[in-house]
Amino acid sequence: MNAWKDWEETQPTAVNVLRSSIEKDRLAHAYVFEGGRGTGKKEIAALLAKAFYCKERTGAEPCHHCNECRRIDSGNHPDVHTIEADGASIKVEQIRGLKKEFSMRGLESERKVYLVYEAEKMTAPAANSLLKFLEEPEAEALAVLMTTQVQQLLKTVLSRAQVLSFKPLPPDALIRTLMEHGIKQNDAALVSKITSNVDEALTLCEGDYIAEARSKVIQLMNDLSERPKYTLITIQDDWLSFFKEKTDVQLGIDLLMLWYRDVIRMQVDQTDRIVYIGCEEQLEADALKLNLEQLGKHLNATMDAKRRIDANTSPQLVMEQLLIRLQEG
Amino acid sequence: MQFTINRERFVQSVQDVSKAISPRTTIPILTGIKIDAAEDGVTLTGSDSDISIESFIPVEENGEQIVTVETEGTIVLQARFFADIIKKLPENTLELSVTDQFTAQVKSGSSVFNINGLDPDEYPRLPEIDESSVFKMPKNLLKSMIRQTAFAVSTVETRPILTGIHWALSGEKLTCTATDSHRLAMRHAEVKSNDADLSFSNVVIPGKSLSELSKIIDDSDELIDIIVAENQILFKATNLLFFSRLLDGNYPATDNMIPTSGKTNITLETKHLLDAIERALLLSREGKNNVVHVKSLEDGKIEITSVTPEVGKVTEHVATNSYDGEALQISFNGKNMIDALKIVESSEITVDFTGAMSPFVLKPAEMDHMLHLFSPVRTY
Repeated sequence: MNAWKDWEETQPTAVNVLRSSIEKDRLAHAYVFEGGRGTGKKEIAALLAKAFYCKERTGAEPCHHCNECRRIDSGNHPDVHTIEADGASIKVEQIRGLKKEFSMRGLESERKVYLVYEAEKMTAPAANSLLKFLEEPEAEALAVLMTTQVQQLLKTVLSRAQVLSFKPLPPDALIRTLMEHGIKQNDAALVSKITSNVDEALTLCEGDYIAEARSKVIQLMNDLSERPKYTLITIQDDWLSFFKEKTDVQLGIDLLMLWYRDVIRMQVDQTDRIVYIGCEEQLEADALKLNLEQLGKHLNATMDAKRRIDANTSPQLVMEQLLIRLQEG
Repeated sequence: MQFTINRERFVQSVQDVSKAISPRTTIPILTGIKIDAAEDGVTLTGSDSDISIESFIPVEENGEQIVTVETEGTIVLQARFFADIIKKLPENTLELSVTDQFTAQVKSGSSVFNINGLDPDEYPRLPEIDESSVFKMPKNLLKSMIRQTAFAVSTVETRPILTGIHWALSGEKLTCTATDSHRLAMRHAEVKSNDADLSFSNVVIPGKSLSELSKIIDDSDELIDIIVAENQILFKATNLLFFSRLLDGNYPATDNMIPTSGKTNITLETKHLLDAIERALLLSREGKNNVVHVKSLEDGKIEITSVTPEVGKVTEHVATNSYDGEALQISFNGKNMIDALKIVESSEITVDFTGAMSPFVLKPAEMDHMLHLFSPVRTY
């Protein structure tokens, strides 16, 4: 069940702020929930909507079984409106529809809630047309904008809302949960760095995808230090055929970044916190060979590569360029 | 829940409430029809959240048994499938029963449908109605009031409040006003109410809802009950309830916009003016402005002209029945004038002008129940 106390531990700040605002009946008119994937933004937004409507709530806790709560869970509440990206972005028509809805009095109550998922996907016209009633809603309204990339929201939107940051979940708990699901420890450690959402992590582990990805990275790094001339061939033969889609390529680069992080951990003697468990020897070899400055350059190179992929550069070119930069030392 | 019902009557009711159901709704439950069987009959509800229609089928009507309710209950069924299913059923009666939690079975003759339904508790609740604040008017009067005002509402969403018709009631007199900020249509009517002191204002009903309503009610002089609740307005005819949500916000104060005295007063035949303006607009129909110029002539006639530089010019003289006051020269949007002339339902109209730059008033002659206001167009 989804209750405030379930999130107390993982998101203490957000929960406390919201809970005490509800208890004191001092909710802001608009919130921006900002935080990584799987940090509970959606769940807490639903909880907030329930607390806003629930007639039988005790303190800040909605009852979860009254008509209002049940309808919010099933998406059937007539005065709770959700906006989700239609395709790649949230379009201005969707905001217009919302505006029209808001020009009417509520169907059942005077109070309305609107939840915008992936708010960073709003097109500029959409965000601008949202501004007006974000600032001065005609009736009592509560807006929740959820985003993983708060820096992509317009400043004008942010300045009109209260921003609540959601902390990334502690990876240990996730690793434990994943291992309970029968995932090997070294895979679990790696996945926990990529997402904090249990379901997403489990999908990544499906069919040993992450295990294979992990071995590709280890292979590539091994080649890079043992026989650097062959790396371009390794890329062509192994890497590109495995990391095909854009999201896969991004994941591959993320994994490379994690590798260099581990090398740094090796150098500063934090062996207990490395992610590539079982590759200590190889990591140590790298740690001896590279100094901090070089590692910094490597990390920069991988970040650059990630940006390029975002800008739709061909994966092969990006990867080749990355490897050449990594070999420069 | 289980009941047996006359199919034809059921189809009719389902079609009535289906008018409120929109396939493009964001709330999944609103794709369904709510069916509620009680001791006294079966109630169907459809809604797109802006309007909701409730149709009631009584157990008995005119001594004829229509429904037999075995057990009471409620269910929500997908409107699209359900409407088609019951239309095509073989027999004259059908039996509807809710077998499992939310699964319904429709039986007619030898055909049996099992349809998955939705939880009726999730359906939006319609407002509780306070019967004490009812007022009544004949259906045909309501229809003509809607027809005579709804055309003037704004179609642009920049000021949502203007997409509605403003209703105000005081001393058993109902005033409907609609404006798009260039023209205004107003209609008064006497209504009956139990409580003579019943009054309200700033009730703004979406123009679209009222147009929908006027399609549903028939053209008889039967009385229809009207009740204004907090967020909705309810129209209550025999066995049919029509709810509409109200627009939020304050309607502009229109009373002091209407000039009380005119400098030039003209009376003329509605048809002559209408035809003349329609002819004048023939040239500018393709253009954007629809501007018509009116000038008074010496002999009590007026001259109507319209110029479209690329196309040409049209001039026509129209005789007036009476002409009092100053000489006149004014330009206005002819399209708006046509809209109004088409619905005045009077063979003679009077127009009061108060100068080239102030709004003017058009009324059916010798009658005070209707008024149209137009703002002139600046042409230089």
